[in-house]
Amino acid sequence: MKNAKTVYPFTAIVGQEKMKKALILNVINPLLGGVLIKGEKGTAKSTAVRALAELLPERTQVEGCIFGCDPYDKSGMCITCLKKLEVNVKLNEVKGKMKVVDLPISATEDRVVGTLDIEYAIKKGEKKFEPGILAQANRNILYVDEVNLLDDHIVDVLLDSAAMGVNTIEREGVSFSHPARFILVGTMNPEEGDLRPQLLDRFCMVVNVTGERESEKRMEVIKNRLEFEKDSEAFAKKWKSKQQELRNRIKKAQELLHEVTYDDSILEMAARTSIEMEVDGHRADIAMIKTAMTIAAFNGRNKVLNSDLLEAAELVLPHRMRRTPFEEGIFNMSRVENVIGQTHQG
Amino acid sequence: MNYDYVFPFAAIIGQEKAKKALLLNLINPKIGGVLLSGEKGTAKSTLVRGMAVLMKGMKVINLPLNTTEDRLIGTIDIEKTITQGRRSFQPGILKEAHGNILYVDEVNLLSEHLVNCILQVASSGLNKVEREGISVVHPCQFVLVGTMNPEEGNIRSQFLDRFGLFVEIKGCEDLYERKEIIKRRLEYERSPLDFIEKWRLETDVLSQQIKAAKKYLSKVQVSDNVMKLAAELAKEANCAGHRAELVIIETARAIAAYEKRSNISVGHIKEAAEYTLPHRKREKTTKQELPPETPEMEEQKESNEQQSKQPEEYEPSDQAEQEEESEAEQQEDPNTLEPKQQEDGNSEVKDKKEENDEMSIDQIDDIGRTFIVKNLDIKAIDRKKRKGEGKRIRTKTDAKKGQYIRYKIPKNKLQDIAFDATLRAAAPYQAIREKKGLAITIDNSDFREKVREKRTGSTIIFIVDASGSMGAKKRMSAVKGAIVSLLTDAYQKRDKVGLIAFRKKEADVLLNITRSVDMAEKCLKTLPTGGKTPLSAGLFKGYEVIRTAQKKNPDMLPIIVLVSDGRTNASINGGDPFEEAMEIAKKIRMEGIRSIVVDTEQGFIKLGIAKDIANALGALYCKLEELEGEQLAEAVRQCAIDCNY
Repeated sequence: MKNAKTVYPFTAIVGQEKMKKALILNVINPLLGGVLIKGEKGTAKSTAVRALAELLPERTQVEGCIFGCDPYDKSGMCITCLKKLEVNVKLNEVKGKMKVVDLPISATEDRVVGTLDIEYAIKKGEKKFEPGILAQANRNILYVDEVNLLDDHIVDVLLDSAAMGVNTIEREGVSFSHPARFILVGTMNPEEGDLRPQLLDRFCMVVNVTGERESEKRMEVIKNRLEFEKDSEAFAKKWKSKQQELRNRIKKAQELLHEVTYDDSILEMAARTSIEMEVDGHRADIAMIKTAMTIAAFNGRNKVLNSDLLEAAELVLPHRMRRTPFEEGIFNMSRVENVIGQTHQG
Repeated sequence: MNYDYVFPFAAIIGQEKAKKALLLNLINPKIGGVLLSGEKGTAKSTLVRGMAVLMKGMKVINLPLNTTEDRLIGTIDIEKTITQGRRSFQPGILKEAHGNILYVDEVNLLSEHLVNCILQVASSGLNKVEREGISVVHPCQFVLVGTMNPEEGNIRSQFLDRFGLFVEIKGCEDLYERKEIIKRRLEYERSPLDFIEKWRLETDVLSQQIKAAKKYLSKVQVSDNVMKLAAELAKEANCAGHRAELVIIETARAIAAYEKRSNISVGHIKEAAEYTLPHRKREKTTKQELPPETPEMEEQKESNEQQSKQPEEYEPSDQAEQEEESEAEQQEDPNTLEPKQQEDGNSEVKDKKEENDEMSIDQIDDIGRTFIVKNLDIKAIDRKKRKGEGKRIRTKTDAKKGQYIRYKIPKNKLQDIAFDATLRAAAPYQAIREKKGLAITIDNSDFREKVREKRTGSTIIFIVDASGSMGAKKRMSAVKGAIVSLLTDAYQKRDKVGLIAFRKKEADVLLNITRSVDMAEKCLKTLPTGGKTPLSAGLFKGYEVIRTAQKKNPDMLPIIVLVSDGRTNASINGGDPFEEAMEIAKKIRMEGIRSIVVDTEQGFIKLGIAKDIANALGALYCKLEELEGEQLAEAVRQCAIDCNY
């Protein structure tokens, strides 16, 4: 986001460690599948997501491609780039930053999935696809504030593309499909209603945030905020080194991620945990391992420890515990701990 | 998008039945498709996408949920029409799907209008396009493959019947297999292309097998005995129509061909029946060889049944339910143990005591037996009202929200322009119109407007009597059970719910109108009983809540569900409690708010006050005992439909 206004620095957010970590993990490993932040109003949910934009790393993308295709990943390329490759046209690379793309809850379906370009049609008499939010979101973060208030049919569309990383458009005379792999980040206030389980399951992790309880921390929150409002630029400067530090750590973790390995015992524990906790389907197992790998990378290790898996389980499992649509599953961390023996110290 | 880069079919672990069902369809497209139903994260979609690669010459055509009508059936080609000045046809998805596989992910969420289009085409095998001055007919036969998560709602039976086979998918429980699943998935994600290459051989072998089986298919003989057996099986399952036995035979042929046998054996037929009958079966049979049904299918089956109103027992599903429930009860035990004991011992004494004792001990009943809410018998009702299934009500909205499904010619002032349809309408006349430098000029008569479909659930306000009398004899427990069952139904129908309880002197809004059925259930769980019965206060509160909500959203469809025995003994103003309650009831009726009264009165001497209240409300009336027959849910549904049309 290129706005002149200074964004509140991510590192200056007091507390909310779990939420911050979940967001960072998703930045390190975009394949994780997003995070849902649940919490009361005024708990820095949106601030954190917006602040994230500043930390996002650079990556290579095809020049001029609206979908920001990765020139080295044929499996996730848009049709134009693929065609170019087929006829051996060299794809020009540029460095680009990952973005936070907003999906407002008032968005209409045609803007979300894309639609017929009216102007072009009237001027030229030809049909052209006008890309929507999902096109922009490819390889970026798709942020939905108040995700539980999203219209049902928009949720369906999201489910569709989140599932396969492709947005297929068959509407208004346009037939088109393009890659739409995005990190889905949602925030919601549970008082306003629930999320459909199907969509809930698409989020790799869920974190609950609450306001800080200690008065000392609360004071720090106020102090930081006031300072920021008084002179945002000076405030940002003050946090600059911290921000850079975190940025470096993310970058290192990203490089390390490819080298992270895990033992068979880790795999077994993940599978056993899922069976023990009676989660639906297999998404939980896979998410647990991937998250654990990312945590290991973030901690500068190339090997997954039990403690990583345990931490991952806490992020990945609770929202998958429900047995019926609305029956609250009871998540018992000690049961997970039993399965994942803590032989290593966390 | 490129379907070549998908997780290889051969690398998918487990799900043997689903895999086979898909393969059989590739071998013999006459089977007519398969519906995979199961919990999230069980490789449903992965299976279907993987299948696409296996068959050369047969494609998987994706039908996204946001498809508009014009793309589904085809329409006028704007570009050609303008450049050539002649109306020409632009084929839609159905044309592409001819001879191929039509795949709908989350098929239970597909727009009703599109379902109707598909049904029409599927039954005739022809797609007749008559629109925008285009008149085209083309053959259209496809294998219909759908995946769904039953938690999100059901498919109506007519559509269900179009799927040749049905497979219920579950995650696998085996530790080794689960490990392997994670491993392969991670390997695939690390490098999709390498992983696909690694499985190339297995994939090719599978492709060859299918090819061979396809060739062999014509050699498979169908004997009279086999036909007889299939017919008998279908008859026993009480399937509607004759599609069941035909599909059994086609499936058995494919199975035989797959095994390279030229004769269909009894085993083949039985195997085929396992795939074909579950979703078509309409009444419980004693045959054990058929797989147990899922609740969803049962519901579906139920809705198939026309007028036969036999109170059926959901055997397999019931067991599961009860197990779940007993678990829930165990969890609750610490809270409820005490009051329960009291209740058992001296409930009668308490009953009397509470008449004049406001300081009585509150008790909390646990949630009683829940049941699966019966689907509305759609066929018994006028065709138009069928929209009640799926979401409770689908309204064509005038507001600019909802899914754009098709267009219409605007009647009044144009508000929500359908650009694509407008362009299509204008296209044929471009040759004769003055252009002003543009490629297309649009005339007033060309304008078309969007028709959108929005799912609006009803808003159900439960007004629950929580006075002392309700605590007796586990009555509250039964009531809670009934309400929870309704809540489950409400979730699937995207209803909003609110909960009001009245006891002692006043009525409390335990839960303001919300979509969170979750919270409603939690509130209900901890709802105590005890004290007097201020019925009028309860009704008034309900009325207030609805009035406020209506101000915010005038389109809402409120329904009051009053659960009480009507024996009111406390008033708001100190007057006669009954008279007061009747006053308010009449007022609610005047406002046009629909309501249902569930009478919880028990014992030999019945005063029938609740019935009087019901009359004053103009409400549907039923007794708590009748709830087990799932009539309440039906009543609510009926109510919702009545007030919409």
